[in-house]
Amino acid sequence: MTTEINGTLRRTALYDAHLALGARIVPFGGFEMPVQYSSILKEHDAVRNRAGLFDLSHMAQFALSGPNVGAWAEALTVNKVANMKPGQARYNIFTNEHGGAHDDVIFYRLDDDRWLLVVNAGNADKMWAHVSANPADGVTMTNLHGERALIAIQGPRSVEWLQPYVESDIAALKYYACAETRVKGAREPVVIARTGYTGEDGFELFLPSEEAVGVWDLLLAENRDRGLEPCGLGARDVLRLEAGMPLYGHEMTEEITPLQAGLTWAIKFDKPAFTGKDALLAQRDSNGYARIAGLTMDGRVPARAGYPVLADGVRVGEIRSGSFGPTVQKNVATALVEPHAAAEGTRLEVEVRGTRHAAMIVPLPFYKRPKA
Amino acid sequence: MANGVPAGLLYSKEHEWVLMDGDVATVGITDYAQSSLGDIVYVELPRVGATLTQFDSIGVIESVKAVSDIFTPVGGEVVGTNGDLDNNPASVNGDPYGAGWFYKVKLADMGQTNDLLSSEQYEQLIAEA
Repeated sequence: MTTEINGTLRRTALYDAHLALGARIVPFGGFEMPVQYSSILKEHDAVRNRAGLFDLSHMAQFALSGPNVGAWAEALTVNKVANMKPGQARYNIFTNEHGGAHDDVIFYRLDDDRWLLVVNAGNADKMWAHVSANPADGVTMTNLHGERALIAIQGPRSVEWLQPYVESDIAALKYYACAETRVKGAREPVVIARTGYTGEDGFELFLPSEEAVGVWDLLLAENRDRGLEPCGLGARDVLRLEAGMPLYGHEMTEEITPLQAGLTWAIKFDKPAFTGKDALLAQRDSNGYARIAGLTMDGRVPARAGYPVLADGVRVGEIRSGSFGPTVQKNVATALVEPHAAAEGTRLEVEVRGTRHAAMIVPLPFYKRPKA
Repeated sequence: MANGVPAGLLYSKEHEWVLMDGDVATVGITDYAQSSLGDIVYVELPRVGATLTQFDSIGVIESVKAVSDIFTPVGGEVVGTNGDLDNNPASVNGDPYGAGWFYKVKLADMGQTNDLLSSEQYEQLIAEA
């Protein structure tokens, strides 16, 4: 949630397409991005029940190549990288010495030599400085931020509505797999990955910026009448929150570690060394750390980021994200809470504009898509 | 009604409308405001009996993503609120000048209405926004 400090906002290749679709534009991650086209609820509904189309070109893509990318990345992140096979994608977190997060990212291994690293827009400059400050032999890095576009289609109808435009068999692509293929409307090969940030099935397409309008228009032209909705960042945030997915700056920060964020599965303590490993080990063994928990409000008042969370009148934490959750029809939130207040079923209160409102700790995610 | 701005109402620069009936004003937000806010999920209104000062922040409107202040276009004693908004806040989106009304105020001073805009003036305001 940052904007460029000097005030100059960038535009993605799809900016004019967003305006033509009636989007409301807001600054986000240094770009002028669509926050909504029709209504957040309508767009959310499209993704949960049909499919939605997103422009995520504000996210930064770094091209990595060379024989040592795996080993290099493993030293700077919590997850394993070197054992990824060509055609695999993997979630990961770049950490600082204290175990906090520089950013959460996805590595895509395109072939033996070439990788794509996708980082959050708001962290793009920081992350480029970080990887540039840690050079290694056998690792070549190119910052493609702004030169490459990213279009996502998310929702249960994604395979059906995307397949006619893609040469390879996308139904055969496994979750967190990626492939280079041909896509109608694009002259260059497109990287397609079965990844996303909504809790639904779906795909992300990485392509040159100059090809983005052609592919975007083609996908909407035939599918919009069937119910494919262009979706903005507003719907995306609600979708990811319901799906229990962390948002950098909220559930994870330079101070809030991936362990606190509940991402234990992504932290590979059996790696010999990585930045912040000792700090994370000490935190894990102490077990006394504040952690991210899911929370639902009893009533109609939404909890919002920054609101105090209390147990028996004593402050035990703070809301990190909060919204009305259309799928669960309740106000849902994440909170960073002390361990004694983090157990499922714990009754808490959230202070909203000076008044306390009842809430309860519930398991994350709030929403899990039904098995196909 | 031109550009969705009903004639016969008064308006504030903060996009509230006021319907005068004697010295009692009914207050709500305009179609332009509800459209800008998006899907409304909660409205926090002042209590009946509360005394409001014109143009103060006296409550909030929450859309799915954001919290916005309600700046009351008129001051005086609150004599009624729209209780239906608790269960149906979306009526602010669907019918901002009707079922989506907020509250009624008995005006402390009728002169306050001089500080509000006519429908023509309000139309011009949103045309320039």
